Amino acid sequence: MADVPMVNIKINGIALQAPQGEKVIEAARRINVDIPFFCYHPRLTMENGANCRMCLVEVATPRKNPDGSVVMAKMPKPQTACSLPVSEGMEVWTETEQVIADRRGVLEFLLINHPLDCPICDRGGECPLQNNTIHYGPPTSRFIEEKRHFPKAYPLSEYVVFDRERCIHCARCTRFTQDISGDAQLDFLFRGADMEVGTFAHTRFSSRFSGNVIELCPVGALLSRTYRFKARPWDLMTQKSICTQCSNGCNIKIDHRVSQLQRVNARVNEAVNEEWTCDRGKFGMDYVSSPDRITTPLVKRDGEFQPVTWDEINTLIIDRLQEAGAKVGGIGGTRSSNEDLYVWQKFFRQTLRVNNLDHRMGPHFRPTNSGLYARFGYHSMNNAIADLEKMKTILVFGSNLVDEQPIIYLRVRKAWRAKGAGIVEAVPRSMKTGEEANHVGEFASVRLYYRPGTEVALLHGLLNVMLYENLLSAERLGEIKNLSIVQNAVKSWAPEIAAKECGVEADAIRRAARLLATDQMAILAGETVTQHPYSEDILNALGNLAILTGNPGNINVPVTENNQQGAMDMGILPDVLPGYVGLDQPGLNTKQMLQGAVSGEIEALWISGVDLVNRFYDRDLARRALEACSFVVVTEHTLTETAQLADVVLPTQSVAERDGTFTNVERRVQRFFKAFEISPEIHPEWLIFSQLAMRMGGTAPYFSARDILREIAASVPIYQACTPRDLGDQGVRWHYPAANHTADLVGVEYRAPAAVSA
Amino acid sequence: MSEQAGYVPVVGAVAEPQPAPEKSYRFSEQAIQELEEILTHYPDKKSAILPALWIAQREYDGYLPPQAIQEVADRLERPFVEVEGVATFYTMYNLRKRGRHHLEVCTCLTCAVMGAYEVVHHLEKRLGVKVGQTTSDGEFTLSEVECLNYCGAATVVQVGDKYFGNITKENVDELIETLRNSNEFTPADLANAIVRLHIPERTAKK
Repeated sequence: MADVPMVNIKINGIALQAPQGEKVIEAARRINVDIPFFCYHPRLTMENGANCRMCLVEVATPRKNPDGSVVMAKMPKPQTACSLPVSEGMEVWTETEQVIADRRGVLEFLLINHPLDCPICDRGGECPLQNNTIHYGPPTSRFIEEKRHFPKAYPLSEYVVFDRERCIHCARCTRFTQDISGDAQLDFLFRGADMEVGTFAHTRFSSRFSGNVIELCPVGALLSRTYRFKARPWDLMTQKSICTQCSNGCNIKIDHRVSQLQRVNARVNEAVNEEWTCDRGKFGMDYVSSPDRITTPLVKRDGEFQPVTWDEINTLIIDRLQEAGAKVGGIGGTRSSNEDLYVWQKFFRQTLRVNNLDHRMGPHFRPTNSGLYARFGYHSMNNAIADLEKMKTILVFGSNLVDEQPIIYLRVRKAWRAKGAGIVEAVPRSMKTGEEANHVGEFASVRLYYRPGTEVALLHGLLNVMLYENLLSAERLGEIKNLSIVQNAVKSWAPEIAAKECGVEADAIRRAARLLATDQMAILAGETVTQHPYSEDILNALGNLAILTGNPGNINVPVTENNQQGAMDMGILPDVLPGYVGLDQPGLNTKQMLQGAVSGEIEALWISGVDLVNRFYDRDLARRALEACSFVVVTEHTLTETAQLADVVLPTQSVAERDGTFTNVERRVQRFFKAFEISPEIHPEWLIFSQLAMRMGGTAPYFSARDILREIAASVPIYQACTPRDLGDQGVRWHYPAANHTADLVGVEYRAPAAVSA
Repeated sequence: MSEQAGYVPVVGAVAEPQPAPEKSYRFSEQAIQELEEILTHYPDKKSAILPALWIAQREYDGYLPPQAIQEVADRLERPFVEVEGVATFYTMYNLRKRGRHHLEVCTCLTCAVMGAYEVVHHLEKRLGVKVGQTTSDGEFTLSEVECLNYCGAATVVQVGDKYFGNITKENVDELIETLRNSNEFTPADLANAIVRLHIPERTAKK
């Protein structure tokens, strides 16, 4: 913004400088001059904007007379401050008699059809219309005719109810679906007094981000179906938290009352979710107040779970763990906080002296510090989420992005819409999305729906075009060692041949290659890549693509689970300690542990917060292992299928009941805070491990998650900057100490999908 | 007002979201060519929504069922609801099936002075329908419209692409009989006439 020229303006006689092009309403807000508004929103475009007319102000601009003298010329009519850019010498008045009268008039009109049913409206108490009417509105209305009548609480989407009577037609929700989420399912229908917001032919509003319109709505027209009539805003307590539904780590606010979660609202974090949430996060957090929550430790006796005290259960667990000796394994942890995970691995490694820890659910269990890390020096996602906006081209490769990474999807769409980035979508045919709401194909410049298994052929085709149509910088190619490896590998993959193999159009490969052969190109690889039998080949080929285009730091293989990144960082892996310090004698991975349980090599299994039976790629093996293993401890919120198979089930606190940190997909360590307590008998996991460790080995116990975080910051170099104080509200990203951005090319041979089973 | 000028999605008619209407494309070869030509007149496809809807109104027998809106939206690569918003904004797009002849009686100032309401009331009695309704045999739909800009021949009745001037309650029966035996002046003819306005150099359909 530095090169934007500043202009001098005056608002209510207060002189200030504002960057050219800034809207008057924004400039006024900076100096705490209140201009009321409904439809204005800084993240939505002004197309269809400036329609509520609430922000009217009086404006004068300097005008030069023919004789050279300058006079202030007042604009004949009031202007909308939300759409008027500042200009040199502009003077604005926000509290003149004229403006006050205008606001009254606007509000009288806005309230003509508004039912004024505030006492039974969920928005009452936090409603901009209510607030502005009290501050600026007329005390009465002259409208005595019949108001519009529509059915109340029309179920617009799975999560949103719509009350058309209350709508003031600000177009915030319609602009959201067009600008931000991109499904474009809401728009105005009819006109004049009949105008209403609607969907096409009364179809369901099926956006995956539908919940955001509830927060955007400045009146009570769009309301949450889950929160409806549950609480009044002034009865709610709010706590800062982090969403646990995926790895993106959206910042949220938990609104709670009587120790129950009532609703989830987004919390602003420009680096992560801006101010959006997805429906999964906004409505999927109900589990924290589920009536099925386990509230005491349970032990299975004669096939029935019976409640016991913590003291009893700890004794039992210690006995059984000591019996098992080194034949112990720990699986899971992607839902636990970094503090839990750190204490867990410390308990396993220092007290039990085993390295059998793994959070991965398969099907690949490669050494942690191999593959991408060995080549480029980072494990999963190297770019920050916000960095995606700066990209010229983004390659979405084999990822159902909106399902796997909803908030990254919104950033990718923003990169396209607001910054003009080109998007290339390359996904298996099965992921081809047609009419569904929210998919990358909606805005991708090139769409490549390849035959599953032909990923490498497709990448070879792309590189062939780049190398043989001279799309790459000759200077860079000159610097690259062993270029011939790639040249030879892709020589026979002319776009026509690759197109035939992959079942795409040769022309599409050419167009994609032209878009991708640029600096500032980022790759987002998805689950079909990581779970592919030849995923190493694909990642190597993607690495070659990144090196040749000059983007070795822009390969992203984002993790998908809530705190999966934290589980990796904290060493819930058989071969590394916290901070990816390699171990000489690695333990068993998930698959080996489960196989060991079946064969008797593992006698005790600790499953932490994961429904193993349903999440492990081989359901049958997981089930057999849990049935065969003589002692299974599960820490869980509810009695999942896995917990049913356990010998001991320990209740653990959910994200709403404790303090802690999660590390999100871009390695941002973010704090969440205790909102309420359900039962004193539910312990955080770190306390469980800490108590066991104290009784087994006499190590000093921990007293709070903050203590543990301080220890992590002191002992894990990559978390050095992550002290409780430094993290603040917005979190801190940690960086790899030595990312290797001069990696070498690797030869990749294409293996035909015939060899790939199913 | 119950069936005023064919608004399909009568608000409150549905209590919950409906399944998406099934798609069926009906644009003829000629219609597709016309649309392509019209698209060359505008900088982007969004601008062509209005003429495209007129083509659709012709191709879909003089009105725009949800399928027609879907087809236009797909051909112009716009969201369905945006096209529906346009189609519901303008009153000359018929969102509901009209009779074979759509009688649009001007009741603006001049025509009203010249007895337009007598004509309307006579037609209501004669056809057995209220303004905005269609006769049960599907022959006629009766509407009141604003000024048709033909005040010299008040009262004016527009039927399809044709204006009938100097209509009184005495001679309107004759008009009805003529129309009963005529296959011309249908809503689709009106749509075709307007499409033709967009493609002056070409001879459009019929």
